Amino acid sequence: MTALALRDRGQAIGLGAVLPLTIIVAWQVAGMAFGGVRLPLPSKIVAAAATMIASGDLPLAIVQSLGRVFGGFVIAALIAIPLGLAMGTARAVERNVDPVVETFRPIAAIAILPLAILWFGTGTSAAVMIVAYAAFFPIVVNTVAGAKDVNPTLLQAASTMGLSRLATMRTVIVPAALPSILVGLRIALGVGWTAIVAAELAVGAKAGGGGSGGIGQMMFVFYAYSIELNRIIVCMIAVGIVALVLDRALRAAMRALMPWSR
Amino acid sequence: MRPAARHTGRTALTAAIKLRLDGVEKRFAGSAGEATVAVANLTLDVRQGEFMVIVGPSGCGKTTVLNLLAGLASPTSGRVTIDDRAIVGPGPDRGVMFQDYALFPWRTVVGNVEFGLRYGPAGAGLDARARDERVRRNIELVGLNGSESKYPNQLSGGMRQRVALARLLANEPEVLLMDEPLAALDAQTRIILQDELLRIWGQDRPAAERRTVVFITHAIDEAVFLADRVAVMTTHPGRLKAIIDVPLPRPRGDATRADPQFQALTQHIWGLIRDEAYRATVT
Amino acid sequence: MKGSTRSGSGGALVYLRTMAVFALVWTGVAWWTDNSILLPTPLAVAQAAIDLAKSLELFEHAAISLGRMVVSITIASAIAIPLGLAMGLSTRLERIVDPTIEILRPISGIAWIPLALFIFGIGNTLPVFIMTYAAFFPIVVGTVGGVRAVDRRLIDAARTMGVPQRTIVTRVVVPAALPSLLVALRLGVALSWTAVVAAELIGAPSGLGYAVEWYRELLATPQVMSFIAMIGVIGYLCDAFVRELNRRFTPWMPATR
Repeated sequence: MTALALRDRGQAIGLGAVLPLTIIVAWQVAGMAFGGVRLPLPSKIVAAAATMIASGDLPLAIVQSLGRVFGGFVIAALIAIPLGLAMGTARAVERNVDPVVETFRPIAAIAILPLAILWFGTGTSAAVMIVAYAAFFPIVVNTVAGAKDVNPTLLQAASTMGLSRLATMRTVIVPAALPSILVGLRIALGVGWTAIVAAELAVGAKAGGGGSGGIGQMMFVFYAYSIELNRIIVCMIAVGIVALVLDRALRAAMRALMPWSR
Repeated sequence: MRPAARHTGRTALTAAIKLRLDGVEKRFAGSAGEATVAVANLTLDVRQGEFMVIVGPSGCGKTTVLNLLAGLASPTSGRVTIDDRAIVGPGPDRGVMFQDYALFPWRTVVGNVEFGLRYGPAGAGLDARARDERVRRNIELVGLNGSESKYPNQLSGGMRQRVALARLLANEPEVLLMDEPLAALDAQTRIILQDELLRIWGQDRPAAERRTVVFITHAIDEAVFLADRVAVMTTHPGRLKAIIDVPLPRPRGDATRADPQFQALTQHIWGLIRDEAYRATVT
Repeated sequence: MKGSTRSGSGGALVYLRTMAVFALVWTGVAWWTDNSILLPTPLAVAQAAIDLAKSLELFEHAAISLGRMVVSITIASAIAIPLGLAMGLSTRLERIVDPTIEILRPISGIAWIPLALFIFGIGNTLPVFIMTYAAFFPIVVGTVGGVRAVDRRLIDAARTMGVPQRTIVTRVVVPAALPSLLVALRLGVALSWTAVVAAELIGAPSGLGYAVEWYRELLATPQVMSFIAMIGVIGYLCDAFVRELNRRFTPWMPATR
């Protein structure tokens, strides 16, 4: 990088850090001068984070939540991808299934939660079902779009070569739709992560704090039982970091798998 | 109606100089740090009322010259002047027509044509009625009456270009700068619009009454058809290779294209840039 | 979905037919499980919905949730749109503010609920805070994107006409960015509506989310489903409303789905 470009980069990073640093410093100073003993402070948050990580509580909670997300995610993908491919290639399937999908799509996963608790209780199964429901829609919508976007000339070429329907699906449609499908998966992962936090929070609120762990539950416990604001904030930051890492990791995986697409 | 006077393409040598680029250089900082010289040591005079066309292969800096004259870019060294005053920025005295029309998609034909009058200095001192009258006149001049309330996405390419022209003319600029305005049109529409452009410009009027035009194109036949003089540029870096006089008589039309002198000029100019154009396609 | 034909009465007929099939399958499964708490029949749900509508309870809660969303979107837009415009026009400002936005954005509105509960307690402020936060990010990010995507040539054209900078912002940049802005608004509405349910489920004494939870604790599944359906209906209507706004205010753009 040239000197000019380096200086520009440095300036950008510097400018970007100004606002967060100012807020943190102002918060710390004002808090120490005027705040009560219960006011969360950056220093206390860092200390709490250190404790929670060292004790293994935080990593465990994250792993539990992630486990549920992946579980629901896999269930959703196993249903949504085949269904989406079918809908995208066969008019009849789409005509009959689409109304149902579109009717439920505006109903957010979290609205279904009480129903899920009714059916599955306040344990892991309800949470996994919520994630599956939430993840289902982005995957199916994007898969249908990807399947429909396949260049018709490619399909004509396949049929003139005598490929069966199934073979065409396998060798032409799926690879062509893959970028869209992966976009749907990436969105679904993000949606699923938000859904699990919400689900665990709500379950924690209703199950009275005991139950199945996970980061949402942990947050609720710190709110309702021990009033540990610093720990709540640590959890919030953890939620944000995990969301970011998931998104970037999936983007990087996509780029590695398909270097030809953006 | 006055009989069409037979002017030669040659503007009188005593005609005043309207625009001048004097020893102009323009460099850009590249993304990796090294500079690109778009235009080097360019000196070009454009005379009052003349139709000057600039041709050259891709990347020879034609658009940079236009941007410098428009005031959208400033020279790294050298001077760019209009009527001997330095050009410091864009303004309605030098109207610009862009290759992709740059019409405001959310405004109708009328909305586009009146834009400069409504919000810019060209309309200062015009009350609403005078403004509407001028807008109407220019829409009629370019042949678009009847389409006033249409949006650009409802118009064909040729019609959009006419709107861009009307918008430009409504501000009554002294100079018209046109950056490959007909490039996006199909061949037939192109020929029709070339004729229209000359008519609207006023090709059968004396030089003092006409607006000065600087027109950029890739197409050599278009250049010879339209121009009083053709400036041929080369690339890497962009510089002026030659200025060719086009003494074909005005008014020009279909007959002009069959004129043997037309063919000769076209071949001559092609010969000047042919090697570079070839190299541009293989590197 | 892209390409599906929903033209007039033909589309409506197909829709009704499919939903009828769906209702039949549902009824079949309901009879088979034979547990009206676990899975009531569609008829039972319909009956409950009608009763709730008659007593106006359905609409009261809907109005409350909707009201909260309107307030939230208004506050979020009032902050996010001017900020987004300013950020889009000034690289400097964007460099200062954007990292902070990108840090906060992954922390979903829902993750704020416990902290917000502590600050605001259960009541009206909590849902509105969460929803405003949720709507803010897509709107500001979308506005910045819309401004950045404005065709440079349009701004140049206005400059060559001698139009002053301020007028260029109001008469060129804003109209040109409007389609993106409305798309961002649509996303903000969707996220905000999702957040309302979560916020009301946990921390409000009224509204659709609260009603769903209330009836769940009473094990009154038909009512639970009625309110869930209402959530879906209003979500759909809000989206349709913004889509219509999109169509009205940007007549030059192709229709979006």
